[in-house]
Amino acid sequence: CVDSLDDYNIDQKRAAAVPATTLFSNAVKNLSDVITTPNVNTNNFRLYVQQWSVVEYITEARYSMTARNIPENFWGGLYRDVLADLKESKRIVNADALLLPEVKSNQLAQIEVMEVYTWSVLVNTFGNVPYKQALDPKIPLPAYDDASEIYSDLLTRLDAAIAGFSTTATGITGSADILYAGNIEKWKKFSNSLKLKLAMVLADKDPGKAKTLVQQAAPNVITSNAENARHTYLTSSPNNNPLSNNLVTPFTTRKDFVAGKTIIDVMNTLNDPRRPFFFTTVGGAYVGGRIGFTNDYALTSHISDKISAPTFEALLLDYSEVQFLLAEAVERGFITGNAETYYNEAITASILYWGGTAAEATTYLAQSAVAYTTAAGDYKQKIGTQKWLALNNRGYDSWLEWRRLDYPVLLPPSGPDVPDNLKVPVRMIYPIVEQNVNGAQRELAAAAIGGDASTTKLFWDVN
Amino acid sequence: CVAVGSATYAQERTVSGRVTAADEGSAIPGVNVVLKGTSNGTVTDAQGRYSLVASEGTLVFSFIGLKSTEVEIGGRSIIDVQMESDATQLSEVVVTALGIQRNKNELPYAAQQVTSDQIVQTRGANFVTSLSGRVAGLDIKTNNTMGGSTNVVIRGYKSIMGNNQALFVVDGIPVVNNSTNTASQNAGRGGPDYGNAAADINPDNIASVNVLKGAAATALYGSRAANGVIMITTKKGAKKSFDITINSGITFGTINKDTYARYQKEYGGGADQVFATGTFDDGTLPAVNFRADASYGPRFDGSMVYHWDALDPFSPNYRKARPWVAAKNDPTAFFETSVSSNQSISVSGGTDRNTFQFAYTRSDEKGILPNSELDKNLFNFTSTFSLTEKLSVTASANFSNIEGLGRYGTGYNSRNPNEAFRQWWQMNVDLKEMKAAYFRNRKNVTWNWSGVNDASPLYSDNPYWIRYENYANDTRNHLFGYASANYKVTDWMDITGRVAYDGTTDFQEERYAVGSAGSNSGGSYTRFNRDFNETNFDLLLNFNKKISDQVSFRGLLGSNMRRSILTSIRATTSNGLVVPKLYNLANSAGTLPAPTEEYTRIGVDGVFANATFGYKDIAFLELAGRREKSTTLPLDNNTFYYPSVGGTFAYATVLKQPWLSAGKVRVNYAEVGNDAPALSLYDVYDKPTAFGSTTFFTLPNTKNNANLKPERTRSYEAGIEADFFDGRVGFDFTAYQTNTYDQIIPVSITTASGFNSAWVNSGEMRNKGIEVSAFVTPVETNDFSWTMRVNFTRNRNKVIDLYGEGANAVPNVQLNTLSLQGSVTLNAAKGYPYGVIRGTNFLYTNGQRTVDNKGNYMKATNSAEIIGNPNPDWLGGIHNTLSYKGVSMNFLIDIRHGGDIFSLDQWYGEGSGMYANTAGLNARGVQSRLPVAEGGGVLLQGVKADGSPNDIYAENQNTNSLTPFGYSANGGAAAPHAWYVYDGSYIKLREVALSYSVPQTIMDRLRPLKSINLSVFGRNLWMKKNMAYSDPEEALSSGNLNGGYQSGAYPSVKTYGFNVKFSF
Repeated sequence: CVDSLDDYNIDQKRAAAVPATTLFSNAVKNLSDVITTPNVNTNNFRLYVQQWSVVEYITEARYSMTARNIPENFWGGLYRDVLADLKESKRIVNADALLLPEVKSNQLAQIEVMEVYTWSVLVNTFGNVPYKQALDPKIPLPAYDDASEIYSDLLTRLDAAIAGFSTTATGITGSADILYAGNIEKWKKFSNSLKLKLAMVLADKDPGKAKTLVQQAAPNVITSNAENARHTYLTSSPNNNPLSNNLVTPFTTRKDFVAGKTIIDVMNTLNDPRRPFFFTTVGGAYVGGRIGFTNDYALTSHISDKISAPTFEALLLDYSEVQFLLAEAVERGFITGNAETYYNEAITASILYWGGTAAEATTYLAQSAVAYTTAAGDYKQKIGTQKWLALNNRGYDSWLEWRRLDYPVLLPPSGPDVPDNLKVPVRMIYPIVEQNVNGAQRELAAAAIGGDASTTKLFWDVN
Repeated sequence: CVAVGSATYAQERTVSGRVTAADEGSAIPGVNVVLKGTSNGTVTDAQGRYSLVASEGTLVFSFIGLKSTEVEIGGRSIIDVQMESDATQLSEVVVTALGIQRNKNELPYAAQQVTSDQIVQTRGANFVTSLSGRVAGLDIKTNNTMGGSTNVVIRGYKSIMGNNQALFVVDGIPVVNNSTNTASQNAGRGGPDYGNAAADINPDNIASVNVLKGAAATALYGSRAANGVIMITTKKGAKKSFDITINSGITFGTINKDTYARYQKEYGGGADQVFATGTFDDGTLPAVNFRADASYGPRFDGSMVYHWDALDPFSPNYRKARPWVAAKNDPTAFFETSVSSNQSISVSGGTDRNTFQFAYTRSDEKGILPNSELDKNLFNFTSTFSLTEKLSVTASANFSNIEGLGRYGTGYNSRNPNEAFRQWWQMNVDLKEMKAAYFRNRKNVTWNWSGVNDASPLYSDNPYWIRYENYANDTRNHLFGYASANYKVTDWMDITGRVAYDGTTDFQEERYAVGSAGSNSGGSYTRFNRDFNETNFDLLLNFNKKISDQVSFRGLLGSNMRRSILTSIRATTSNGLVVPKLYNLANSAGTLPAPTEEYTRIGVDGVFANATFGYKDIAFLELAGRREKSTTLPLDNNTFYYPSVGGTFAYATVLKQPWLSAGKVRVNYAEVGNDAPALSLYDVYDKPTAFGSTTFFTLPNTKNNANLKPERTRSYEAGIEADFFDGRVGFDFTAYQTNTYDQIIPVSITTASGFNSAWVNSGEMRNKGIEVSAFVTPVETNDFSWTMRVNFTRNRNKVIDLYGEGANAVPNVQLNTLSLQGSVTLNAAKGYPYGVIRGTNFLYTNGQRTVDNKGNYMKATNSAEIIGNPNPDWLGGIHNTLSYKGVSMNFLIDIRHGGDIFSLDQWYGEGSGMYANTAGLNARGVQSRLPVAEGGGVLLQGVKADGSPNDIYAENQNTNSLTPFGYSANGGAAAPHAWYVYDGSYIKLREVALSYSVPQTIMDRLRPLKSINLSVFGRNLWMKKNMAYSDPEEALSSGNLNGGYQSGAYPSVKTYGFNVKFSF
């Protein structure tokens, strides 16, 4: 009878227990996907920072976040597809009595660093988000926590994670660690680089705290492109680079994206040697598409074959951006050193990374519009502009740095054909579905941050 | 004195006779003849003859669909009986739970019967569609796809996230009605509509259908019957007879253009009114903006322009320009005439010890889309042997084989041609030219090239390519049947043991050919195999005894063991195919992603008892109870009990009024439990495709719950039935309320929880309503009669509670776990009817739609307001039968009032400038697509922000989304979703049939032919509706997302047919 059929409730086709590392690997891959994809349903940051533009469909290029479930997909892509698996992998590691303490400590630190990374993306995209009560299905209506408090906690957690690394033991190793293949030394550098990056976000809001953290992190950051946090994709779906899914056959025949006029104009002026690695030419020239308007695909530069390749790697953090951060830290008086040296190294690292030569970098840097001493504007403008170029294809990070440094100047589309008062988003609105499934808490959060709008500045975005 | 009388034996005599139909005089085989109050009975043979050992008492003649007749033997040995059709509903014999035949007078719950001739009247390929409008309380929605899904809901949606479909039972055996459509298909993301398995039931083999609506009617079937039961009784052979029936019919169908897009014919392809430029043989000339899959392009002016075929090297127009004019053949030219033929033969008969029935039906259907075909082979065999006087055995087997080719693609997907035709199309594209272009070389010659100098498909394929290359095919084999034995222990008790098996095997292949547009340009192949089987073991003890002269008792004790197994595997190639047109998994260009496997088992054991006490055929009291144990619930909480109680009182018998021929009141209360879906207790991990040598696991999107307890439904029902004037007029009125609580639902929670949803035991949904069925026979003479039947259903549904309490109370559960295109949602919202549509609403000022300073509609700030309720206000059916001698005419009008639908077709199609309202003249008499400065633009009805009437013309040129319409409104900001919510009311002339039976007097001369019946008929010939351009009945699939959303909708098909039936 039925009582003897208890195994009917055991799923014969799915695992009830899995190694912690498999959840970690999956989470990191998903993080890389959601940060990298240019899919209009999820990630339109490249459009916001005007590195890319569109061909036919301008809704997202005009900053609509409601015609598609964009905030929902980005939010869910981080909470459900990254953080939930990281949390679960941590639970399994903690429950494993047979792990050597140092190995366990390393594994937990690796997981923790990725959690901090992911949380920081959420906070820097939405502001207040569910944090303390998040990731617990027993709490169906989690409260949103104050963004600045979450941020502080993340930095504390990151410090603890850094302290937890032991280079004499292994952690999550081999192919399970798709970023660093188990190299704990590199993980430490990555963690410190992340700390530097997160600290610099606070630079305008809380310079004192930022300074302390930057000083702690700066000596321990990554020191070359070889130490970039990279994720290399494979040729076959579903493990190909999500860029290729949206750009090339056999993954799609759609031709939705072209180079943005804003970035092309700057790069043309500067004779940027990275242009051929970023974009294609039209009749030998690099032609950018109008921002927020339709463009003729045939008459506009496309995304390069390099970026469109299914196996093109994704970056979660790179040497060039770290060097830019150090240049800025010098300018802000957080650390001592020569800002120009860091600036030059940042640009050189970027050119080399993309496939340019050292000679091209030297030539590029020699131009008065590029050279640190002669380039236009204050350090924010100089670094902001060059970092924006270097962070091409890093839509989210580019958007973060643009909001922080306020350069380059990005103008929203305007004109008689355009709705009034369009503004480049400085925040992503909360998922519409939150109104349905967690409405009261969302409303409290919206009020707390000054309104659930894409124009509401985040707590650190004070200047 | 010595008593001697006790030794007197009743003298055994034989009574015999013939049963004929009152109206036609033809013999009726299969009539039950029973000596009242005993189990002594027989069945009439093919000539309507019977013979029974009986000396005194009353004979009861009963047959489904006919008025049961009682005749006092009174010492006679020959009794001929004429039986009348079932105008009076109360004396009808109906088949109830577990196949038990009962007089309707006894039933404390609503049951409504449909007879076989009504089901096959218009030869619908799926008998379920023939029930639409015929039964009060039954809500059937049929999709317009070939062999497509039917959604069958009785008395409203009861379960928030669970199954709401009625249970189908054939001869007492539950038959699966699963849909194999994917979750993506259900959410409108594409995939063929493979229909549901109830469509495999052979309509020609059905004797009657009885709809058991309430929980009391179904308590004996257990949890799965909580949604009501469609009971089907198949035809059986009669003893000492031999009959052959041959049936042949053919049906043609054409689309109802009133349910399809009607296009503007002034402007051609383009996203703004600017041509591209091409330099070909005719010089540098304007070229169509091939990329833009919209019709906001330049106005047709006859000037010379390079069209899509200028890029097709095999076209006569290659590199040539031709006039800029609207296409002669718009997308309606794509639809073909459907043809279906239906041939069946049935052989039945029996000796004095056994009966048999064999039927075979072959049906071939060619749909309205090119390259579509659905072939069915249906076999039925049933035989009963009486081994001894007391022991009889029955075996029944039904096998069906369904072969589908080119099932229609659905939803927002490139394999649905309507996606282009209704949402993204250029009015300059001629379908006949598209057809010729495809057939020249069978290449994907599309109108939607990537550019003037880039002849590769962009978003849309040639529609003929879609149908002839990117088609699906499928096979379903379905076997169900049973073996049973019945032993009459005494004249008042018998035992039945029965083993029933029901199994389906599905095989589906879906393909994209190399060279398609979109995400499968390298080609793709998906293979799906699915096996389901269910076995039921039943043991039943039947009691039927007179306790005294006045009190009767009917009882039932039974047990049921049900075991089901579902296995499936689905795999899809990646990165295209190596060898074009070779569709197998090994041909995957990329590493084959891991297939999705499924293996679920369910076991349910039930024991049940039923007792009915009758007093003089006037009052009946029925008590029933069931205990069930299910494997899908936790071991310590897997048992649930449910009772039911009901009573009837035949007040007419007491009132004894000449004008009141029959009358009954009934009340009942019942509870039904329900178990959880399989495998929702314990947590497991999903395994995504491995990343090279890196293994991935991930938490699933739904959190399981090891503490689930049974879901419960409580229902109350009361009804009154009355027949007047010898059954010339009658009605049946029912009021009911059903509350389903402790709902087992995967409540949608914020993804900040790490999950999309979590199983909980909470929530309550209420359905209450009334049902009326009535009939009247205004005219009844020897030659002519007219009977009208009316059904009316009004159900009100409300989500009473969801999950959590106080500040933590969840106010809303999203029903679509996958997002719907257009970003509207379907919801269970606390305090609202089930399935409400949420999306952006108008901003209202003093109750008027508000426009902004550019004349476009403004939207309310909350982007998830409730903007529609998909539940109908009421349903109705009117069925008329007129007969004159051997000719009879039937017509059925099917009415749905209310029920809102969001149309993605209009949302995109108007935004693309395809529909007439996006062009033409504005209120000033100027072309609306001219700039406002030149007198153009569109004046929307509403007020300005200050409350004064709108006088601002909105731009409608679509230069950079300058339209007031749909997704492209207001510079890309989009119009309120609420503008694209439509009233789904309709009145359909569902069925018309004219049939002629050759009179018996002629047939007597044509032996061995027994009867000839000819009929002509039509389905869905006429419709009145509020929703423009679409059939409001059309939905994506069957299931809980069935209401409220249309995307890529198929037009309704008007069918006409002819049928001839011979009996030997």
